[in-house]
Amino acid sequence: MIQATGLVKRFADRKRGAVVALDGVSFEARGGEIFGLLGPNGAGKTTMLRVLATILRPTGGTATIGGADVVREPERVRGLIGFTSGDMGQYGRLTPRESLEFFARLNGLEGARLKSRVGEVMDRFGISEYAAAKIDKLSTGMKQKVAIARTVVHDPPVLILDEPSSGLDVPSARMIEEFIVSAKKSGKCVLLSTHIMEEAEYLCDRIGVVNHGKLMAVGTMEELRQSTGKQRLREVFLALLGLSPNGQEATA
Amino acid sequence: MNWKVMMAIFQKEMLELLRDRRTMISMVVVPLFAMPAIFGVMGKFIQSREKEASGEAMIVGVDASRAGAAAAALRAAGFELRSESGLRAAVENKAVAAGVEADAAAGGMRYRILVDRTRQASAIAGEKIRAVLEKLKDDTVRSSLHGSGVPESVLTPFSVDTVNVASQKKMGGFLLGSSLGYLVILLMFTGAMYPAVDTAAGEKERRTLEALLCSPAPRNAIVLGKVLACATASFLTALLAMASMVYSYRHTPFAAVLGADMRLDLLDPSTFGLVVLSVLPIAMLAASLMVAVSLFAKSYKEGQSYLTPLLMVVVFPAVLGMLPGTELTPALALIPIFNVCQIVKEIFLGSFSTAAFAVAFAANLTYASVAFFAATRIFRTESVLFRV
Ligand SMILES: Nc1ncnc2c1ncn2[C@@H]1O[C@H](COP(=O)(O)OP(=O)(O)OP(=O)(O)O)[C@@H](O)[C@H]1O
Ligand SMILES: [Mg+2]
Repeated sequence: MIQATGLVKRFADRKRGAVVALDGVSFEARGGEIFGLLGPNGAGKTTMLRVLATILRPTGGTATIGGADVVREPERVRGLIGFTSGDMGQYGRLTPRESLEFFARLNGLEGARLKSRVGEVMDRFGISEYAAAKIDKLSTGMKQKVAIARTVVHDPPVLILDEPSSGLDVPSARMIEEFIVSAKKSGKCVLLSTHIMEEAEYLCDRIGVVNHGKLMAVGTMEELRQSTGKQRLREVFLALLGLSPNGQEATA
Repeated sequence: MNWKVMMAIFQKEMLELLRDRRTMISMVVVPLFAMPAIFGVMGKFIQSREKEASGEAMIVGVDASRAGAAAAALRAAGFELRSESGLRAAVENKAVAAGVEADAAAGGMRYRILVDRTRQASAIAGEKIRAVLEKLKDDTVRSSLHGSGVPESVLTPFSVDTVNVASQKKMGGFLLGSSLGYLVILLMFTGAMYPAVDTAAGEKERRTLEALLCSPAPRNAIVLGKVLACATASFLTALLAMASMVYSYRHTPFAAVLGADMRLDLLDPSTFGLVVLSVLPIAMLAASLMVAVSLFAKSYKEGQSYLTPLLMVVVFPAVLGMLPGTELTPALALIPIFNVCQIVKEIFLGSFSTAAFAVAFAANLTYASVAFFAATRIFRTESVLFRV
């Protein structure tokens, strides 16, 4: 469902000059699979997900989602994905219902179909009770539910989630996990970025380890353990990043 | 253009604007209160001037021993005379509005009127005293001539009168159109400002833009929805300003001063309709320009600081239009903002050039479209949207 081939993204940063955020990344994620991008701060995870979500144009390489090219057919891609990130905001002056109806309309839903679909997701995420309150007035956990509901209001086959549980308390993070697992069960392709190793191990079918814009390794947690010969998650991770356990760059 | 999606965006923006306090203040409160306030102050000013003229300005200090005939004439004209020894000091410390000094010079009496021109009452008193003394001079000449056989008509070989041929509608239109029409244009820009900042820079600051960008909504539909919402706010500001202008024109002290016959019927539908039509492209221009500029800002604050200088720029062409004697030729009708200020003035005056109106309308629409396309271009520019 998601196919990335040699993706490159360079930013022209005024102070730092050219920043290579993606340096030839290739991977594939299928329907019914949760694919995790695991990497430290600044590794290029957000950039990767934004390129796939057609928000940023790649400098090089290609990517398709459900067969649609992210550069040539961005509008088709946008209809196939639900994208959300942990630090995305919401329209605080709208109510959850207004916000959901708005995104449903952007996705071409209207009339009775729109009403029933919005009602459906509100019931599913337990939003109905506060559907008429301003989003600004809701708690962080409630807001997160509205954000997730917004992401799936058009029932997209592909979900792109950038650190979806960052900054959330345990119950809210748990809610997100359950949502991701159920999306997988319903056959969706989930692409997830995180720097929390436990989250990656628990949720992901396969993990791609990213650092400095490069994909260092791809595989199941078991495969990654075997390839590094380490057991403890942190050691596996550091070994794959090419870092020794005390944080020094290893000499290759 | 995907019109359904555009409408969805427009409606969402309107909903947000109507729930934003800052927008509501600039769109509703300012136009509704600014106009009556301005008219009120103007009316109060004129009234107080008149009151001063009839009160304080009638108290005049004289040098009683020498004023003679002048004192009698002034008293006859209604002045209250006070005998002051230090006339200059009395005028300076406001004991009297003005003073009259008299000297018996070689060629006859010489009067000096002492006034303090920084004080309104004093200036008015000075003018009135001069008129009384001039009349006294004429009367003196007249009585000297009496019996000498010279006809009185030598005193006034001809007379000069200025007649104002401008109709009441024209006078009212002049007063309204030259300054207040411009105020409406300025309010249209301030009315578009907060919505533009909120809808562009605000979406960036609140981190809601990404969700919009990865939705299937086409970029031009997003920009048009946003610009139309800001233009609506701008236009509503103008309508409210005009409505409140008409109301204040009739019901504040200003109206009382103008007198009943000056209260022209501004709501005559064709005048009102033409004014509304001519400011319509300005709403689009203000909205597109401000959305485009505001897109560069990362935060609400930054957006405001980018747009404030733009308001200053708007002032220039308008001040040009307030200069007396500028007439709108089709070539001058190409200057944005200035052209509308002139058109509005001419519409109020009751006669305007259809050619200039058409040129101005088309020119403003063109500028608005250019600004709109610039905004859509900017909205497609990654480095602007994701500036770090
Ligand atoms: N708009 C931009 N302009 C310039 N440089 C950018 C821009 N966006 C990202 N970068 C740079 O690209 C690199 C990758 O950033 P990115 O946000 O993709 O990392 P990340 O893996 O998501 O990090 P984090 O865990 O902190 O979210 C970083 O060096 C970042 O500074
Ligand atoms: Mg990130």
